[in-house]
Amino acid sequence: MEHTYQYSWIIPFIPLPVPILLGVGLLLFPTATKNLRRMWTFLSIFLLSIVMIFSLYLSIQQIFLSCIHQNVWSWTINNEFSFEFGYFIDPLTSIMLILITTVGILVLIYSDNYMSHDQGYLRFFAYMGFFNTSMLGLVTSSNLIQVYFFWELVGMCSYLLIGFWFTRPIAANACQKAFVTNRVGDFGLLLGILGLYWITGSFEFQDLFEIFNNLILNNRVNLLFLTLCAFLLFVGPIAKSAQFPLHVWLPDAMEGPTPISALIHAATMVAAGIFLVARLLPLFIVIPSIMYIISLIGIITVLLGATLALAQKDIKRGLAYSTMSQLGYMILALGMGSYRSALFHLITHAYSKALLFLGSGSIIHSMEAIVGYSPDKSQNMILMGGLTKHVPITKMAFLIGTLSLCGIPPLACFWSKDEILNDSLLFSPIFAIIACSTAGLTAFYMFRIYLLTFEGHLNTYFLNYSGKKSSSFYSLSLWGKEEEKKLNKNFGLVPLLTMNNTKRASFFCNKTYKISNNVRNQIFITVENFGLNTRTFYYPHESDNTILFPMLILVLFTLFIGAIGIPFNQEGIDFDILSKLFTPSINLLHKNSQNFVDWYEFLRNATFSVSIAFFGIFIAYCLYKPFYSSLLNLTLLNSFQKWNSKRIRWEKLINFVYNWSYNRGYIDAFFKTSLIESIRRLAKQTTFFDKQIIDGIINGVGITSFFVGEVIKYIGGSRISSYLFLYLSYVFIFLMILFFFYFEKF
Amino acid sequence: MNDFPWLTIIVAFPISAGSLMLFLPHRGNKVNKWYTICICILELLLTTYAFCYNFKMDDPLIQLSEDYKWINFFDFYWRMGIDGLSIGTILLTGFITTLATLAAFPVTRDSRLFHFLMLSMYSGQIGLFSSRDLLLFFIMWELELIPVYLLLSMWGGKKRLYSATKFILYTAGSSIFLLIGVLGISLYGSNEPTLNLELLANQSYPVTLEILFYIGFLIAFAVKLPIIPLHTWLPDTHGEAHYSTCMLLAGILLKMGAYGLVRINMELLPHAHSMFSPWLMVVGTIQIIYAALTSLGQRNLKKRIAYSSVSHMGFIIIGISSITDPGLNGAILQIISHGFIGAALFFLAGTSYDRIRLVYLDEMGGMAISIPKIFTMFTILSMASLALPGMSGFIAELIVFFGIITSQKYFLISKIFIIFVMAIGMILTPIYLLSMLRQMFYGYKLINVKNFSFFDSGPRELFLSISILLPIIGIGIYPDFVLSLASDKVESILSNYFYG
Repeated sequence: MEHTYQYSWIIPFIPLPVPILLGVGLLLFPTATKNLRRMWTFLSIFLLSIVMIFSLYLSIQQIFLSCIHQNVWSWTINNEFSFEFGYFIDPLTSIMLILITTVGILVLIYSDNYMSHDQGYLRFFAYMGFFNTSMLGLVTSSNLIQVYFFWELVGMCSYLLIGFWFTRPIAANACQKAFVTNRVGDFGLLLGILGLYWITGSFEFQDLFEIFNNLILNNRVNLLFLTLCAFLLFVGPIAKSAQFPLHVWLPDAMEGPTPISALIHAATMVAAGIFLVARLLPLFIVIPSIMYIISLIGIITVLLGATLALAQKDIKRGLAYSTMSQLGYMILALGMGSYRSALFHLITHAYSKALLFLGSGSIIHSMEAIVGYSPDKSQNMILMGGLTKHVPITKMAFLIGTLSLCGIPPLACFWSKDEILNDSLLFSPIFAIIACSTAGLTAFYMFRIYLLTFEGHLNTYFLNYSGKKSSSFYSLSLWGKEEEKKLNKNFGLVPLLTMNNTKRASFFCNKTYKISNNVRNQIFITVENFGLNTRTFYYPHESDNTILFPMLILVLFTLFIGAIGIPFNQEGIDFDILSKLFTPSINLLHKNSQNFVDWYEFLRNATFSVSIAFFGIFIAYCLYKPFYSSLLNLTLLNSFQKWNSKRIRWEKLINFVYNWSYNRGYIDAFFKTSLIESIRRLAKQTTFFDKQIIDGIINGVGITSFFVGEVIKYIGGSRISSYLFLYLSYVFIFLMILFFFYFEKF
Repeated sequence: MNDFPWLTIIVAFPISAGSLMLFLPHRGNKVNKWYTICICILELLLTTYAFCYNFKMDDPLIQLSEDYKWINFFDFYWRMGIDGLSIGTILLTGFITTLATLAAFPVTRDSRLFHFLMLSMYSGQIGLFSSRDLLLFFIMWELELIPVYLLLSMWGGKKRLYSATKFILYTAGSSIFLLIGVLGISLYGSNEPTLNLELLANQSYPVTLEILFYIGFLIAFAVKLPIIPLHTWLPDTHGEAHYSTCMLLAGILLKMGAYGLVRINMELLPHAHSMFSPWLMVVGTIQIIYAALTSLGQRNLKKRIAYSSVSHMGFIIIGISSITDPGLNGAILQIISHGFIGAALFFLAGTSYDRIRLVYLDEMGGMAISIPKIFTMFTILSMASLALPGMSGFIAELIVFFGIITSQKYFLISKIFIIFVMAIGMILTPIYLLSMLRQMFYGYKLINVKNFSFFDSGPRELFLSISILLPIIGIGIYPDFVLSLASDKVESILSNYFYG
């Protein structure tokens, strides 16, 4: 057994050969590398499976014999400083390893088909392999410098993958935004690491915790400085896990390919922030104020993410905000000190959200054939609807993911979310109220997404039929009639976008889609008639098995992963795998009730949270029940609205929420006007200063000396008259001065 | 121990071989090109061989030393010798110059003179890094200027005369201060002028005098390094020069300033240095932020990269002025690392300019489709420049940060403040580099160039960029390559500060 641990340093290096070989191959022997094509995929899947088996083995051992393994090698040796690299295996690491590898393998299988028509197929797999390597390195790292090392590498992979389709200007902006925002987090993280080093003199986790606790106990360090350092450390996770002030990059990151959104921006990389907070929890837990800050930021993000998700039109953006909200739950749980439930939610959410994203990718893939290769169209939920008939398996998978995220009992997220809600009740009633109401909101927006996508009729064609009738807009708008104008713009474009033949051709022909994507506006004018004349209706088709298979596996995970946190009654002792894993870890709220689960209380809380979720689903059902099939329910809707006696105020509220969500809570706009503009202005001013003043002085000196030289040259041009003139004028000036002095004396 | 005059041969070989080029048959540029390349490679091999077999890593003293009397009249010696501080820069010089000659392949106009100048620059630089005599140092310093001036004024861009004049005025002006310092130091104390650096290192001066000397040297090196506000020659020069010259300028010439700062200001004038270092640190911090912001405001691609190197020089200043073991090690590592990264970035900027013939960033766009390999290399090297872990820039900057943290000299508050501001620079760096990438490569744009024929980088360019990239990643993954060269020397320099 010791053998296994000895070799676990190899974990991050196993997937590494693929990106290295691919990178070298693509640069030096592009044709040969491209001919191998799918071999690379198989190789990367194979290597990742090895890691998965390895990490499964490790975590099984962790369950039975919970212990921490650490081994370090020196990286740089110097008298004054030394950095070390090593691995650190504990239950947290093993869980993260399993999570990364399972989701990673499924996403790799999925993207083999999803990206198969893309020019950058191999580039994609190179990036993915590198991401897997750095993510595995991050979770196995044994000290803070190593964490920082991989933390940035992961961020870079995210940058490259968001900007994967670099011809899109939006993607170009999004990837830069993501990198810079993450760099702000890294800034905090680095400062925090340095500050902690200054306090404790160590980077190793265990030494750090020990020294830190001693210092706190003996009260030998300035608490304010400590809190500052801890907070700066926490800034890193804020950016990486898209928490409140630095969440702006996550929705934009959806410009990347969908498998990436599933792997990086839902399941693994954004969970790195949670991982780091969990890892450093022994450090945070001794400073109550920082715990309070963590939970505060968590609760703000929970609410913000949920409200912003309410009116997104883009299916992936909606899911992204929901990810943000769920990450907020985890941070909240960590801030409350319930380590176990946070990680439980991390696991369940990762699988559910990966399922949802893969499902949405499948939908997008189907829709692209109809509406064209443009994220504005293929991801737009307004154009979807009624997909149940066409993509039944995807629908089933998506529904299960949705239900799981809403917290419906047998599914994964129910168990973990319920725990978090319980703990929040113990922690603070205000937080509990917000968290519970957000659970309702979650159910609402998830079902909104589901209903808009799968229920009713395919809106693309519907819009075509009714393109000239303005009356039918009402039933289609997302938030009732007040949105008419906003959507009109979109509708004007819709008929033009269904030029099936051209679009399909451009989608399948790899070389040209980028051009057609970008020169779209010019094409519209010329091809419009052609498109309208030859229109034949295509319906979205179910995706290939390669896409469906990972989704089905994830469905299984979503169904059964909750089991690891369910207490089994075994020989009189309550026993669940997760608790077994985390027994030696800290658990603030459950100190005395570790082995005692009150079934009655559990049932009561569960009923409460489930009823909230059903309430949210019910409202979503009322509001978004598709127009045709909901004629019967219209009375219900009416009564629901009548019940709200002040209907105008209600509409105002809806309008406000819609605007809030549509404008992303005005936070992006705020950042844009305040930060970006000010940096630009500052840059302009500095450039001006540099050019006009610093450089101007130099040039001025040069020009002055030039002129002085010219004047002297002119004067010294060996002309007697000028010499005489100069001589006489100086004499004259001298006389004048003398004269004045002479007069003043009198 | 070893009397063979390795260093003299290494210094004299390129320039003498270069002057032989005049006797080559005048049969086109090809002969000159290949001849120069061969000389450079031979020189690099010779250097490596000499250092491999004759240099002891664990010896902080001067090695391979040579001492020949040159001018009897005022005790002027041809003194050569290397130690841990200079070996890294000499190897860097050899490497970058070889690659720069390779990069200069497309130069056709007056290629004989061009290559001769490259080779004489080679000699001058190695001579500077290996001289152990103050006056020899000065002579090599001046010898360096002439080739750069000619290279600038003959093979530059449109405004080449302006920038060449600016360069020569700036550097010649600063050389006056260097000369004053050299003469002042050598004539102090005794009737016989002492120019030997080893003897001078143990000398102590009255405080005022030491401060005066320090200021003189500082001005000279501040122009070269550059330190704000004496930096304005750099963007102009880099903006106009041919990219092979740019590689030499960014890769080596700037490092001469840093080297001089360590070699003379730190080693010879320790008291004044510890007096000045807080101010230098403040200046370095301001420089990081200031140059980063200015870089963000530049429209010209090469100028943007030039300002980014000004910004990175701030880390060297801070490392040197932190007077700690990690800080100084970090500064030396940053010298080497930026030598590679800066040279590579200028090379790539030059090659993409060769294709697109556009200077301003806002006119470019969407080049990634037509030149994917350059795009890849540009992305990787921008990442290296913004200190991505795994690349050499990261470890250098991290160690500099570390140096400030462990510094005993400063108060906590000031340390926090300086680190905070430096870290803000860490946020600004990706903004300007990534927006540069975005403006150049991302998006889609039909470029209205008359002869629209883009070739992706050929084998020569690919070889060049990869061979610069390899040491960057190598140092980033295993920094002890470079750190072990200089660590003993660093300790011996710093021992002056703790016991003196």
